[in-house]
Amino acid sequence: MFCQRQWLFLFCVAFALTAGAEDTWWSLKPLRKPDVPTTVSGKDKSWPRTPVDQFVLAKLQEKGFHPSAPADKRTLLRRVYFDLIGLPPTPEEMDAFLKDKSPRAYEKVVDQLLASPRYGERWARHWLDVVHYSDTQGNDQDRPRPNAWPYRDYLIRSFNEDKPYARFVEEQLAGDVLFPDDPQGIVALGFIAAGPWDESSQVFIVEDTVDKKIARNLDRDDMVMTTMSTFVSSTVHCARCHNHKFDPIPQADYYNLQAVLAGVDRADRPYDLDAKTHQMRQTLLKKKRALEEAPKTAKPQPAELAAVEKALRQTLADDASIWIVLNPDSFTSSEGSTLTKQSDFSILSSGKKPDKDTYTITARTDLKNITAVRVEVLTDPSLPHQGPGRQDNGNFALSEFQLMVADKTVLLQNSTADFNQQDWAVEKSIDKNPSTAWSIYPEVGQPHFAVFELKEPLENNGSAPLAFTLDQVHGGSHLIGRVRLSVTTSPLPLRADRYPYAIIKILATEEKKRSDQDRSMLVSFQELNPIEQKLAALPPPRLVFAAASDFTPRGNFTPAKTPRPIYVLKRGDVTKPLGLASPGALSCVSNLAPSFGLSDTNNEASRRAALARWITDQKNPLTWRSIVNRIWSYHFGRGIVDTPSDFGHMGGLPTHPELLDWLATAFQESGGSIKQLQKLIVTSAVYLQSSDDNPVFSKTDSGNQYLWRMNRARLDAESIRDAILQITGKLDLTMGGPAVMQFNLEDPNPSNTPIVDYNKFDVEDPKNFRRSIYRFLFRTLPDPFMDCLDCADGSQLTATRNVSLTALQAMAMMNDRFVVSQSGHLAERLVKENKSLARQIEAVWQLALGRPPSSGELHDFKAYAAKYGLANACRVLLNSNEFIFVN
Amino acid sequence: MKTPEHFNFSQQSRREFLWRAGGGLGGIALAHLLGQNELLAETKPSIDLNGGLHHRAKVKRVVQLFMNGGASQCDTFDYKPELIKRSGEKFDPGEKVEAATSTPGTIMKSPYEWKQHGQSGRWVSSIFPHIATCVDDLAFIMSMATKTNVHGPAVYMQNTGFVLPGFPCMGSWISYGLGSLNQNLPTFVVLPDPRGLPYNSKGSFSSGFLPVAHSGTIIKATAADPIADLFPPTSAKNITKASEQDGLALLNKLNREHLAQHSGDSRLEARIASYELAARMQTSAPETLDISGESEATKKLYGLDDKATQDFGRNCLAARRLLERGVRFVQVWSGMAGATGNWDNHADISKELPLIAGMADKPAAALVKDLKARGMFEDTLIIWTTEFGRMPFSQGSTGRDHNGGTFVSWLAGAGIKPGTTYGQSDEWSWKAVNPTYCYDLHATILHLLGIDHTKLTFRHNGSNRRLTDVHGEVVGEILA
Repeated sequence: MFCQRQWLFLFCVAFALTAGAEDTWWSLKPLRKPDVPTTVSGKDKSWPRTPVDQFVLAKLQEKGFHPSAPADKRTLLRRVYFDLIGLPPTPEEMDAFLKDKSPRAYEKVVDQLLASPRYGERWARHWLDVVHYSDTQGNDQDRPRPNAWPYRDYLIRSFNEDKPYARFVEEQLAGDVLFPDDPQGIVALGFIAAGPWDESSQVFIVEDTVDKKIARNLDRDDMVMTTMSTFVSSTVHCARCHNHKFDPIPQADYYNLQAVLAGVDRADRPYDLDAKTHQMRQTLLKKKRALEEAPKTAKPQPAELAAVEKALRQTLADDASIWIVLNPDSFTSSEGSTLTKQSDFSILSSGKKPDKDTYTITARTDLKNITAVRVEVLTDPSLPHQGPGRQDNGNFALSEFQLMVADKTVLLQNSTADFNQQDWAVEKSIDKNPSTAWSIYPEVGQPHFAVFELKEPLENNGSAPLAFTLDQVHGGSHLIGRVRLSVTTSPLPLRADRYPYAIIKILATEEKKRSDQDRSMLVSFQELNPIEQKLAALPPPRLVFAAASDFTPRGNFTPAKTPRPIYVLKRGDVTKPLGLASPGALSCVSNLAPSFGLSDTNNEASRRAALARWITDQKNPLTWRSIVNRIWSYHFGRGIVDTPSDFGHMGGLPTHPELLDWLATAFQESGGSIKQLQKLIVTSAVYLQSSDDNPVFSKTDSGNQYLWRMNRARLDAESIRDAILQITGKLDLTMGGPAVMQFNLEDPNPSNTPIVDYNKFDVEDPKNFRRSIYRFLFRTLPDPFMDCLDCADGSQLTATRNVSLTALQAMAMMNDRFVVSQSGHLAERLVKENKSLARQIEAVWQLALGRPPSSGELHDFKAYAAKYGLANACRVLLNSNEFIFVN
Repeated sequence: MKTPEHFNFSQQSRREFLWRAGGGLGGIALAHLLGQNELLAETKPSIDLNGGLHHRAKVKRVVQLFMNGGASQCDTFDYKPELIKRSGEKFDPGEKVEAATSTPGTIMKSPYEWKQHGQSGRWVSSIFPHIATCVDDLAFIMSMATKTNVHGPAVYMQNTGFVLPGFPCMGSWISYGLGSLNQNLPTFVVLPDPRGLPYNSKGSFSSGFLPVAHSGTIIKATAADPIADLFPPTSAKNITKASEQDGLALLNKLNREHLAQHSGDSRLEARIASYELAARMQTSAPETLDISGESEATKKLYGLDDKATQDFGRNCLAARRLLERGVRFVQVWSGMAGATGNWDNHADISKELPLIAGMADKPAAALVKDLKARGMFEDTLIIWTTEFGRMPFSQGSTGRDHNGGTFVSWLAGAGIKPGTTYGQSDEWSWKAVNPTYCYDLHATILHLLGIDHTKLTFRHNGSNRRLTDVHGEVVGEILA
């Protein structure tokens, strides 16, 4: 990818050459609080209510415009409700507002709305657009992210609590390090992980290939882009590829920013709800990390190593000693593989290699009260890669494992294995689903074993043999090459995963072939055990999908122990590294040093903390202009700068630069209170204007950029959906928790995108009545109803949603099962609450439009409802322009 | 042979011009409705340029057949005697050999017979007996290459020019640049494999940052509800034909009164018009997809009488009918996402490739023959593409891993020099010599549509974005 970055270049050149503010690009000029204009005279003299209005009026007068008359109370209430909480006022709320003649009536409503929990739900949704949040990974393996939602709830809480903006930013970039005692500091890191993640490249593509490097580079690119466009409205990601014509410094800036994020990946990260547990866990984890990192310098002494190894082996030997190997009486293959018993009582498969197979093995034993079964899959020189599987890559897939005695199934539970292939864990072999299985790739060429506990001890008093069936129906000859079965009478629990597989592997390696790192690992593992046990004793942590530097590896996706080295790449090509980048920020922001001067370059968290502090510095002009403009843009449908995530040369210029700076500095003075900013905006005379057109003014300013009227807005997808639910009385206001799937999900293959069917989902399922922000957002399979209403696409950063009007949208509003069924519910509600058809029609008008119908409208709708039913009439009304647009 | 629906092209151009310039239902409203707000594309299609934006267009409509999974070039079109000669030997081209998902195996010849076909003498393996009969109409690009060996990014790249999600695909760009040729069907239609969506699901036919009006409309040609929400759910017994007719009239009245009170907002008009277009689509979409009027010979040509070919055949036939009715861009997918049921033949070329190739070969050839016979080669372009090729060496013992180094695409129809071949791969079919990237293919397609690919831009997030990024050269050698 290559893109233009001239503006960035121009910033730097302009700044470097002149060092004077007058030639600096507007957004980089230092922030100063301008004087509020007070020059107003004439008929608009009494119009301003707030400083905001003074700035707007000064510009209107300069351009020869006048402000519009204020909107009527009904219009205003509907406007401010949708704007602040994303829902319409109820008829009762409308009535109360109309009756309240006090001068503070409107202000009271604003305060109530800002204090409503619904407010956070509305404004967190805007933030999710900006950071391209979804509940799945995206790309070709669009797997669910079951733990993404805590970040969404963090946002809702933060908006509701009116978290100071600087803290809000700092938490999202470096909450774990800047606020170590607050568990929400970890949850906030969902920000960095919000965007798409190329699972297929990250997990399955072989390490040290160009494709793998590209995947990592692009993953960081997304993090840098999201961070810089969200917080400082900078499109620095456009400097990823070097353009020879320009100064190379901006490209270095870009890679310096990549270096800030070079130690983190996107993964599930544990956190605790309770601050005390959080602090205990963090202390233990810190000790654990210290131990893990320490041995790199100290080489273990041979004696120490021998003692450790002896102890570790002894435990394994003790574990193994409880098993009695079964000597099979019979062993058959359903597909004609040749099975032969070996001297160690294992069964070797050879000869014909069918696509699928089922082995049946029977054996007798005198043991009574058997508690568990062990399945060993063993290597053999005759097998590909030594086995233990017969597939060309040495793998196998045990689809289902069953034990029968005297034709009765013996129930198995709590299966564990020494090693599980990602997404193909051993529990899949007893899940009664033949399309899932236990596999061990890439750990081929090694023996493995699994333990299955019996749900009830098997008395084994009769003469019937134990009959084992091993279904291997995955296809592609994923067959077991050599298998051995054992049983035990030892008490439960019994597990196969005593040690992490890495330790098993080192133990299986001859001492002289081990690396020093292997040896250190053995020692530190033995030291870590007590800490691990303490950690295990804590209440289980919750998980959030977030930026993480420590997580369980999956396939080829492994954490960076220390930040990965980042190089400036010639033309962005991973095969053409130039110089090493060092963590830093933009070099062209005046008054702020771009370099962080970090003492410990291996401490990745300190890099993020430094960037967070650079962004939230009061002297950073971009940050504060960016957020006030972003907030403004949602209230007016257009920012003072109409490109809220791009304050560069390719972005828009501010229509009211002094107002923007006044807002930014006032916002700083308020301690970064978004609610105070919003109250100022929605109580301004600018906001209170009617949205009606003025044909004279629109001739010269058709886009209303100078705000001589309010802008009419088409409701966004979520507001349409939530408003319908509120009107019908079905809206479920439960807050937070896992994302609700409003679709039918089938997930036959853990390596593929699940099969998502919105049409098969029961629209009457109560899950469908939650507010839209709690929907499960499938990145590559968005809800078609929401999608056609311009709901943000999780594949891209959405600073401003497009507003389209299409035939597909008309069809969705008329015919979608959601609208059709909700129209029915609405009719039921109306009938229940109102006696006559006329009253019912009047009530639906109040609910949906906040006004009574005219006599003509009442007449028409009565006639239509009498002929075709009230539900159809409701559906027509929900399709009306008056419902879909907010004046 | 001309069907009754066949377009009169000059008349069509006039209608298209009026449509774009603001005739019919009221200009600005329509511009909104079709996503062609005048603020978007700066240049309009011109009647003098035969509907082109920057120069005279040779093509008005495009159908793209996309082989999802990475169709093997070295088992289909890229004949390499070296592979046959040295099959089983170690693959040692003298530089580092990487395979995306496996350890590189030994050189593997194709299990299929190779033969030269047609006047042009094009080599085609026995896997494509039907396409082989069309080679004199096709222009082959033998040197296609991509920048990734991973399905997701590669499918994105072939569709959008970028390996990342979030960018508009070619169909969306064309819709944005040229707009609609019809008044009752979508501009850009996607016909997925009935068994499932391709890699990246809907991401590959998304409009990205362009307005959603330009994203591909999914049509399921054989489903009762071919377009989502085209009709009310059948379960809603209160909805009848009469209730709909009167309901739309009532809605129209309500909206017009509202409009009268709130003049000067073209969006309100556009939304009224959108219901009129939706109503027309309710009639035209089923008519378009109803193939009962097609002759038995046509149905047979597309392989509708054979279980193996009927799905892809039905979609290819639907594509022709959509093109005839003025759909601008139709994309037909062969193969779903996942490890099987597509062109991603890792395990066994001789078992897996015939399954998918057998589904696609006859219908693809039928589309070429049918479009040509109906005179649609005059203004219709057909493209056959995939996201990458496959390795000349084995994966396991009989499969092939992904190869972004070289693969084959072919084009036919308006503006294309028939029977040509452009570019080549190395002696192994491992890497293209002077690679042709999607940028060049996209530039060529836009060129044929009368668009200079460097001038069709959209400002987004700091850049004037293009389908071809900062790359792209028109492949003049394959143009007539």
